[in-house]
Amino acid sequence: MQQTAIPKKVKYDSEYGSTDLLNPGHVGCPGCGAVLAMKFALHALGPDTMLVIPACCWAVIAGPHPQTSLNIPVLHTAFETAGAAASGLRAALDMKGDTKTTVVAWAGDGGTFDIGFQALSGAAERNEDFIYVCYDNEAYMNTGNQRSSSTPYRTRTTTTPGSGKVQRKKNIVEALAAHRIPYAATASISHPEDLIRKFKKAKDMKGGTRFIHIFATCPTGWRCPSEMSVEVARLAVKTNFFPLYEVEKGVKYIINAEGELPVEEYLMTQGRFKHLGDTEIQRVQAMVDDDFAFLKKKTLL
Amino acid sequence: MEIMVSRSSITTTGNNTGAWRFVRPVYERHTAPCSAACPAGEDIPRIEALVSEKKFKEAGEVILMENPFPSVCGRVCFHPCETACNRAGFDDAVAVNSLERFVGDLLDTSDGSLPFEAKEKNGKRIAIIGAGPGGLSAAYFLSRLGYSCEVFESEEKPGGLLRWGIPAYRLPEQVLDREIKRIESLGVKINCSTRLDSSFIETANESFDGVFVGTGLGSPIMMNIPGEELGIGWEVFLKEVKKGTQKEFKGKAVVIGGGNAAVDVARTLVRLGASVTIAYRRRIEDMPAFGSEIEIAISEGVEILELVAPVAIVQNAEQLSIELQSMKVEGQDGQRAKVVNDGDKKKSIVADRVYSAIGADVEDEWKGAKTVSRPGNRSALYNEKIPVIYGGDLVNADKSVTSAIGSGKEAAIMFDILLAEGGSKAGDEEAVKKTTAACQVGDGQSLSFEAYIGGERRNVVEGVVKFEDINLNYFEKTALKDKNSMKADLNGFDEVESGIDEVSAIYEAVRCFNCGICTDCGICSLFCPELSVLTGNEGRRIELEYCKGCGICVCECPRAAMSLVKEAE
Amino acid sequence: MKKVIEGSHGVSEAVRLANVKVMSAYPITPQTHIVEALSEYCEEGLMDAKFINVESEHSAMAAVIGASSGGVRTFTATSSHGLALMHELLHWASGARLPIVMAEVNRALGPGWNIWMDQTDSLAQRDTGWIQLYCEDGQEVLDTTLMAFRLAETVNLPVMVVLDAFFLSHTFEVIDVPDQETVNEFLPEFKPSVCLDQDNPFAMGQMAPPPFYMEMRHNIQQAMMSVHDAYEKIEDEFDNIFGNRYGKLDAMLCEDADVVLVMAGTAASTARTVVSALRKKGVKAGLVKIRMFRPFPVAEMREALKNARMVAVVDRNCSFGVGGIFAQEIRAALSGTESRQKVAGFITGLGGRDVTPEILEEIYEAAQKMEDAPDEAIWVGLNN
Repeated sequence: MQQTAIPKKVKYDSEYGSTDLLNPGHVGCPGCGAVLAMKFALHALGPDTMLVIPACCWAVIAGPHPQTSLNIPVLHTAFETAGAAASGLRAALDMKGDTKTTVVAWAGDGGTFDIGFQALSGAAERNEDFIYVCYDNEAYMNTGNQRSSSTPYRTRTTTTPGSGKVQRKKNIVEALAAHRIPYAATASISHPEDLIRKFKKAKDMKGGTRFIHIFATCPTGWRCPSEMSVEVARLAVKTNFFPLYEVEKGVKYIINAEGELPVEEYLMTQGRFKHLGDTEIQRVQAMVDDDFAFLKKKTLL
Repeated sequence: MEIMVSRSSITTTGNNTGAWRFVRPVYERHTAPCSAACPAGEDIPRIEALVSEKKFKEAGEVILMENPFPSVCGRVCFHPCETACNRAGFDDAVAVNSLERFVGDLLDTSDGSLPFEAKEKNGKRIAIIGAGPGGLSAAYFLSRLGYSCEVFESEEKPGGLLRWGIPAYRLPEQVLDREIKRIESLGVKINCSTRLDSSFIETANESFDGVFVGTGLGSPIMMNIPGEELGIGWEVFLKEVKKGTQKEFKGKAVVIGGGNAAVDVARTLVRLGASVTIAYRRRIEDMPAFGSEIEIAISEGVEILELVAPVAIVQNAEQLSIELQSMKVEGQDGQRAKVVNDGDKKKSIVADRVYSAIGADVEDEWKGAKTVSRPGNRSALYNEKIPVIYGGDLVNADKSVTSAIGSGKEAAIMFDILLAEGGSKAGDEEAVKKTTAACQVGDGQSLSFEAYIGGERRNVVEGVVKFEDINLNYFEKTALKDKNSMKADLNGFDEVESGIDEVSAIYEAVRCFNCGICTDCGICSLFCPELSVLTGNEGRRIELEYCKGCGICVCECPRAAMSLVKEAE
Repeated sequence: MKKVIEGSHGVSEAVRLANVKVMSAYPITPQTHIVEALSEYCEEGLMDAKFINVESEHSAMAAVIGASSGGVRTFTATSSHGLALMHELLHWASGARLPIVMAEVNRALGPGWNIWMDQTDSLAQRDTGWIQLYCEDGQEVLDTTLMAFRLAETVNLPVMVVLDAFFLSHTFEVIDVPDQETVNEFLPEFKPSVCLDQDNPFAMGQMAPPPFYMEMRHNIQQAMMSVHDAYEKIEDEFDNIFGNRYGKLDAMLCEDADVVLVMAGTAASTARTVVSALRKKGVKAGLVKIRMFRPFPVAEMREALKNARMVAVVDRNCSFGVGGIFAQEIRAALSGTESRQKVAGFITGLGGRDVTPEILEEIYEAAQKMEDAPDEAIWVGLNN
């Protein structure tokens, strides 16, 4: 009889989702993907972490004065400043001789792709020693679902009504990789094991800017049932709509998962895409296929 | 001067975000399809969960809750559980049967220690006619409910078909003895070589409070062809072999039939040294015998002649000539091919011996079974002065060992309902229906003894877990293993299948989806954005102070062990 | 030790002596010399500090906000458009009560592009909750910068040290640069009142709903008003150690003055010579140099101007639709007094145009002739 290794029986929560750094009673919407992103990130990062949070959903979820939902130091800053404020905080800690604490900028897609892009680019160019996390819910959700440069092609938002956004989603990881930072990666709330591995890897790569782009379902804004939050994120990976990959030193691309499902299976789970007809779905499929083919080419570099 | 800036001094834990909720997640046990299909109603997902955690003893105890014969069933059950297994839709069914044997064989209760305390004797006595799997099971469960049981068996040893009808290479006698001994250790008295006839029932009320009839199928079905008397009945032959009066036969044999009995006879003959041909009136794929048994028989050298029906057996000098009518397929008859005579085409084969193995029927004197009681209808209730319940092959549609066990359990529960102090009167079919319905395993035929005595399984909610209910994202397709390895020794009656080792057992058990039961895997807690899934001594629970009712836990649960319910207005 | 250095380097020397730990800046003329020197100090090991070369003034302020929240002494410098770009974060710094010190070189805003002296940039930030101190010469720049750290850290508000473009930033003067030990005596190691703490984790700067926000704003106002006493004490101490004091404003010959000229920055030096010359002619001229603009030194201003018949405010800035900003502030300060001196506003010297003795004499004469102050500011020195 051929001996095969016994599949590991995992206790998932203690393995990937146990943290006492996040408190219940926060005001995230039911099924909030951004909260799960934080939960998994903190599981990986541990208590020696300081967060810099600009305006975003998390600026609310973290708790209004005098509350906090996080049991680590948090610096709230203005919308466009995460990259710069984190640079300053890192510098202060370095000057105080604290090299143990990991500084983590934690911003939404608006604060990363749009208004905060300059400060992020500046910090990445200086290769500032912190982890920058963009939890991406693909629009300005905190203000009621307005389009951002992270909003995908043909997504309906309150500012792209009708047939949806005309432009494609900005490839932020590619942009960050162009800064030749030591590490850039995508992650998804549906893949906590992968996400945690990346955070641990990023944490251990101390000394430069590390960028992690997390796909974080927004059931409220995407108009999908809250219980589907994780499944929707999973489908994004399984359809290559949001591929999981890593970029080391800006040039070495590693793909972590390759999807096989048609993108329609992902699109149809959400109200924001419900208006799409077959032609548009095929167009999205072609874009996803092209992007993934391009990504695969980059792994051959 | 004190500085007043926005900064935190307390946590958010004072916020009752649970007030947002309009649906609530609950942990609910659902019935797995394997359990629903199991004629003995075993809690299979729980058994496999325990095996996967290397808790073999506990797994065995879970089997013993519902079935006194794990080692027997692990060998001879036709395992409808595996046919029903949801995993079959993913890669391949879990080897439930092999696992049962593995667990059963490790269960050592030789010191008489059983994993449950029998109820105090209630002073009521049940007579059990026939020490086959049905009767012994009835005795086992009745004893656990506090009844004193006396079993009457016509043969010199208990076991019925298990002892006399199943060859040793499939079921070694010591395996059977061990499990019967466990039943006896409950105080069951077995009177062997004591044949009772149906007149016993008339006077049974003088010494007993109830009678279980499990006399099995004692009357072989006749072929009704000329020369039939030249053939040998399968049940006679197998019993002779078991008793050691048949040790060798080097000639040529023809076995007529296509069921397990035919295959058993054929394989036994191979071991006696014979050259064997099975003659069957339909095609091989239509044979009612287990497919695996047929395959093994062929591999052991048994020849199968399909589409032939015997019309006569003729003495031909020292040998016998079997006249066969050729048959042809003409449409379907349910699962099987419908066959008709293929014109006048005839064949004849010559053999030293002919064995008739086309089945068996109830002996005339036990044909009085009335079919009543409850949906599923495996135990028949015959009601005169005291409850008389027929079980086993007398009433079971599928005439299998495990169904007989299930019927014994069902009978035990029915006796308990009918004889309950201050409870329903004999013949109260409504009471039987109501109580047994509450113990039904899923939508299947079997009852759960655990549910009946108020155990965990009582809380199982309606419905059977479907393949679509499983979250396949948490399972990986696995390389398939040989479930049993074969020993190709045809010279004796040693067990052919060697069973699986510990590594394979755990491997298989880990493959189990554990449909409908919480295995404490932690997925619910992993994906809870509200940190509201708590773990305690009593398993998982939801902290309703914070749970917003998003439902991710229910959606992500790999094995349909949770549900969302509406909050009360 | 006396050195001949630029006004810009007066700032740089003070920042070095203040043991600032994190600095961040973005280049803009005429602030660049300040940060170039600081970069060199870091490079040469004269400072144990980190200089963050950010990609904008907005990020410069964000970076020092981050660093100050981390609990170290911070500094930045900017000018004009850079300051305007920082505007949002000026509010953030004061709202977070961070004792950041910033040198701001007064420069005009475009268009058209103009890199020269103009006060509108800093005065436009008057409502941001920053303490503003205006300087006249190089020594004052160095001394004010050192005092700014003490003041900021005492009241937990950021301080802007303001100096004129080129006239001060790029002018070499003899500046007495104190030694480190003496400075240490005046300015001890920074002990933050509020900063992120790994041992006692809390969030700072988060959302403040209506039940809390107003109290926090009131607290800023109270802190700002406490600057008056704090500043006096700090200046006394500074005087004791270094022998220099500047006051919240500097009143010259105001006791019996008929017309008092009021202004800030290097033009005050020119005015001093003009007033002296007028006095020699027997004209009762007086001068008030504004040093502290936020909080506004209302009491001191009233005291200095209480005997003046006419107050002539020289604004090198304009709040369009109203006039000179200093003039407005002084009118407001005097409105509560019984004497309610008349305040005439003059706007001159915008965008680097010289404020010559002639201009100031012209202003003085105009004011002297006035019976009542005009409602509108008078623009002086315009081309025909």
